[in-house]
Amino acid sequence: MAAVLEPYIYDGGMYKHGLILELLEDLGGYLIQAIPAASEVTLIMLIPEKDVHLVEALSTKLLGKLVKSPLTGTEIAVVSPTLAYHHLPHSACDVAEYLRRGGANTNMIGLARGMGRRVALSADYERKLINEHDIALFSFGTFSDCIINKKPKLFEGIEIPIVVTGGPDIKTEDIPNADMYIGGIGRVAHRLRKEPELEGLDRMNKMVSEMVDSVREEIAKDPLVVLPVRIMKEIKDQIPEIEHVLTPAPITIQLDGLRVKLPYDEFHEKVEKIEFDEGPILSEIANVTQSKMKNYILIKIQRKSEVGFVI
Amino acid sequence: MSTLDTFVVESTIAEEADHYKQIVSDAITDLVLVRSINKIKVVVTPEETLFQMVIVLRGGLAPIKISDFAQVGVGTFGESEVVIDIENEAYLPQLLESLWARCGRINVHQPERKTVSVSCENPLEEVPLIEEMVVEDPQRTLQARLVDMAIRATPEGFRVRYHSLNGNHFIFVATEDVMKKEWVEQAHKMLDELLGGEPSGSSS
Repeated sequence: MAAVLEPYIYDGGMYKHGLILELLEDLGGYLIQAIPAASEVTLIMLIPEKDVHLVEALSTKLLGKLVKSPLTGTEIAVVSPTLAYHHLPHSACDVAEYLRRGGANTNMIGLARGMGRRVALSADYERKLINEHDIALFSFGTFSDCIINKKPKLFEGIEIPIVVTGGPDIKTEDIPNADMYIGGIGRVAHRLRKEPELEGLDRMNKMVSEMVDSVREEIAKDPLVVLPVRIMKEIKDQIPEIEHVLTPAPITIQLDGLRVKLPYDEFHEKVEKIEFDEGPILSEIANVTQSKMKNYILIKIQRKSEVGFVI
Repeated sequence: MSTLDTFVVESTIAEEADHYKQIVSDAITDLVLVRSINKIKVVVTPEETLFQMVIVLRGGLAPIKISDFAQVGVGTFGESEVVIDIENEAYLPQLLESLWARCGRINVHQPERKTVSVSCENPLEEVPLIEEMVVEDPQRTLQARLVDMAIRATPEGFRVRYHSLNGNHFIFVATEDVMKKEWVEQAHKMLDELLGGEPSGSSS
């Protein structure tokens, strides 16, 4: 396998940031997302482990900041039982925003009928949509009785790791089917700005990173045929239409695949026929399906054990 | 929140009650109800899927008449108009709305920032009528905000609701199951306790 890639976020000025991109290309790293905001730019990238110091030196020279972002390359579903407007601002908004600062791509999913205790339920469509992500983070409220006894029925049919956030301090074991519980982030009707709240969010990012690491380890046991970023690069090279997609992350990287934000009907054949220098085409090493999110394309990469080789 | 005489939130677990107090307090702040509420008590019983809230409002919010914030007089000689000199601009939008509704938009002019004139046939007769016009009823907007606050503070899924607003006494009970009579009675008792033994009157 090629060099080990480390995820980093660069925050700095727009001026001369092209130098970083050039260096990254020379080193064989990948740019996952570039977010320009006025005169500032945020670059989310994967840098070869050995060459991090080179990028670090250049970013110091450009007066920018290079920080490690353990959540890069993950797509997390932040699920809230309700996203009703009269409860705005939702704490789930802050949760999603904070995960994004760690480098993750988050999608907020408000369940149509997730509120309440006895009446809470999730639809088949919603479950399938959540299952397309790497991790599902359920943002619950204040009462331990609800979190322990009533809300876990929303986890039924969720096959990906489940992280739960809520107000009270509960042990993960007490919540049926949850893989991790993070307390101190319950329902609040204001933006999370106070110190204990921010501490809770920091702890959340740390714990979710641990969860991501464990999923990565799991994948490493039977590695993916190709790295998701490699497919991203090939899509950018072989399907020029991706440049015209206006969403913030036209190609969203997941731990074991990616979401391409092009219409499925028009582009799925092109995506399936993407060629690699090593020989195979994409449809031989990955499953290309229609995403439940809008009409996007979802690619899930096969494992070494299924295909028999790694490129 | 210091201006509230009583602000109690109770639940099965005390820590969770403290947390919920923050939610109620945010709802009160967002809707600028701090000065309108005198006492408030909330009891949340998650095990029974029950939310009860009683509020005692501060009374004495009289309707605002034009004479409360403006001088009304007859215009200059020869002009058939009523001139309103405004002292407090806070009610200007409501004033214009009510004048437009009453006299027609074409007859209402605002030559200056703090002057509004109304063309009419008999200014002398109109002056006392305009002076007595009610432009804003704080009690009514308060009620609307109070209901909004109750809905914001309630857990989202609790869609079966009972409410009663009797003068300055507001009772709100919400659940997701069939509403039990004793829950409503309990809430009425809570109000009595909050009032310190005074009867809460009949519910509407």
